[in-house]
Amino acid sequence: MPKIIIDGQEVACRENIPVLQAALEAGQDIPHYCYHPGLSIVASCRLCLMEMKMPDPRTKELVWVPKLFPSCQTPVKDGMEVRFNTERVRDNVKHVMEYYLLNHPLDCPVCDKAGECYLQDYTESGGPATSRMVEEKYKNPKKDIGPHTLLYQDRCVLCSRCVRFTDEIAGTGELKVINRGSRGEIDVFPGAPLANALQGNVVDLCPVGALLDKGFLFKQRVWLLKHAKSVSPVDSRGQTIWIDHNAEGIHRIRPRFNERVNEWWISDEARFGWKFIYRADRLSQPRTRNGTALAPVAWEALPDLLRSRIEQAAAGDGGARVAAVLSPMLSCEEAWLLAQFIRDLAPQATLVLGHVPVTGQDRCFPKGFKIMAEKCPNRRGIETVLAHFGGPQSTFAEFLGRAVEGQVAAAYVTAGYPEAWVDDRAVTALRKVPFLAVHDLFPSGLDASATVQIPAASWAEREGTFMNCDGLLQAFDRAIPPLEGVKPDGQFLFELAGGEGLFRSHKVRASVAAAVPALGDVFEPRPLPEHAH
Amino acid sequence: MSWQTLDRKSVPEGHLGPALSAAAQEKIRSFFPRYPTKRAVMLPALHIAQDELGYVSIQAMRDIAGLLEVPPAAVLDVVSFYTHFWTHPKGRKTIVLCRSLTCELLGSQALQTAIEQKLGIRDHETTADGEWSFMTEECLAACDYAPCLQINEKMHKCVRVEELDKLLADPQNDKLAMPRSDLYDRPVQA
Repeated sequence: MPKIIIDGQEVACRENIPVLQAALEAGQDIPHYCYHPGLSIVASCRLCLMEMKMPDPRTKELVWVPKLFPSCQTPVKDGMEVRFNTERVRDNVKHVMEYYLLNHPLDCPVCDKAGECYLQDYTESGGPATSRMVEEKYKNPKKDIGPHTLLYQDRCVLCSRCVRFTDEIAGTGELKVINRGSRGEIDVFPGAPLANALQGNVVDLCPVGALLDKGFLFKQRVWLLKHAKSVSPVDSRGQTIWIDHNAEGIHRIRPRFNERVNEWWISDEARFGWKFIYRADRLSQPRTRNGTALAPVAWEALPDLLRSRIEQAAAGDGGARVAAVLSPMLSCEEAWLLAQFIRDLAPQATLVLGHVPVTGQDRCFPKGFKIMAEKCPNRRGIETVLAHFGGPQSTFAEFLGRAVEGQVAAAYVTAGYPEAWVDDRAVTALRKVPFLAVHDLFPSGLDASATVQIPAASWAEREGTFMNCDGLLQAFDRAIPPLEGVKPDGQFLFELAGGEGLFRSHKVRASVAAAVPALGDVFEPRPLPEHAH
Repeated sequence: MSWQTLDRKSVPEGHLGPALSAAAQEKIRSFFPRYPTKRAVMLPALHIAQDELGYVSIQAMRDIAGLLEVPPAAVLDVVSFYTHFWTHPKGRKTIVLCRSLTCELLGSQALQTAIEQKLGIRDHETTADGEWSFMTEECLAACDYAPCLQINEKMHKCVRVEELDKLLADPQNDKLAMPRSDLYDRPVQA
């Protein structure tokens, strides 16, 4: 592990990283725009320049060199000495910032980036307080460069992060710097918009307000947002995310760094795949069948109702005709509680791995980013739970086969998929089940045959853990309160399984981990340095 | 301006321009063996397109991107970097005026105003009849004869505003295209 001296302090750093990265990891706030650890290094923004000691050619003695060096392009070397906290370095930042702001429209009051903008931050910390520019500013219309993205050219600092992202990570190269010198601009080829499956990342990457998301445009000031740690449920990869929310609900989703899964990026599916939470047709009230129609019932009445009907169906044969479908949209803790509840009442009950939605093929991008075809977050977790409980088990297709033959007397079906998932086969098969409890987000073809309908909560309204396709267990927090009238799945299943008080996933997880250590081994990604971006 | 939005998602009606002929495409392919990558043929390909069409149309950039197996934006990147490539039709005769320091001090600004008034076009534009194009350039390397301008490949030195009419009326103006080096067109030796 090399040791370098930054501003007189010895810092131990990782091998083969740039000095800038080492300084950021040591907690220093070094201004930078173009440097991003996930992209190639171009050293074009000139903000991170530092002073460095080099050997004098005559005396071989280490002396401070009069010129400044880009710290993003200088790799660390054991024993090297650099400094940022000097007049010359501060002067450089000040003058470079003055150039960046020459033509900037200073429209922070209407800019979405205000509050998380590094033009603001670096101007405040080291830039000039006033502009000496007396000439008229160069004005530029904004550009509509893709279905989700707008480019405000006059706010751009040409750091080229977005260009390198489309070239290196997405591999599609839609964005380029056109023209030359002071006329340089970011642009797409006319008629070839920015529309790859990872394009939303350019908005996060942009250190200023040049690239903006149309969906978030003029919606919220960023300082009014709270951030919840979460894991995306859109595919089995388990991309870690921040859910930015406030009392009005979710406003956007951003990537959360994860060195083992998605690094700094997320797919557009994960970024935009939360809007189903606010669909108007979400179930919001538990209902039971009363004659031919479903009538509302109190949450408090449900546990007894379910318990008595399942016991009734299990009477005599230990529950061989009882089944519980564990959806891969459930968290590990919820699946565990449901399995425990069913097996307590009916020791011979069949545990079924729920419908696993698959769309297309897995996609792999040039630097290894993956979008999985399996569109559910927790198949591996459910399989781990099932493996522990043992006993009769089946796939969802086999379960439907048994139901159609009338071999299922009572079934508890969990779902929670954002997309419609019930096909004709499931409708016909489950119509044959005398007691059917459906725990789902939306109305479906099963409504006609359900005896009990329980509204589910979306992942953003719950907490727990998902195990991704590689067996990595990751925890997600609750971001928003559940829809009015809905009890989070975990809370309901906790009460169903005999728990008292509030469901807290980490407490359930602790007891689960005592039986299955793999379900307690939660992976927490390394936090990014405070001043890195 | 920020209230205006340029639509870059689609090509405006009539802006696609002509495509490259099969012969031009074949010529671009013939350059592939000279370079380690297809991408490296970018500049010859753009010269071929500009020689054939007079400028590099959007359709021609798409064709080149297809041949070179690069995103079309990569072609636009190079085209827009060099002011000598034109992305809109270029006239038969091009006036290139130097805008560097020496020429500026000795009156290039007055020349520019005069040319723009006479032809009714501005920098990097073409007259409606397709006869004239006008552009300014950083330096024509004739500071000792400032102010200077070029009509096609012919250099005119120490130009005075009152001489402009005579220069523009010269019937030889469009016959001075410089032949390209024969190295450029020589087939690759196997």
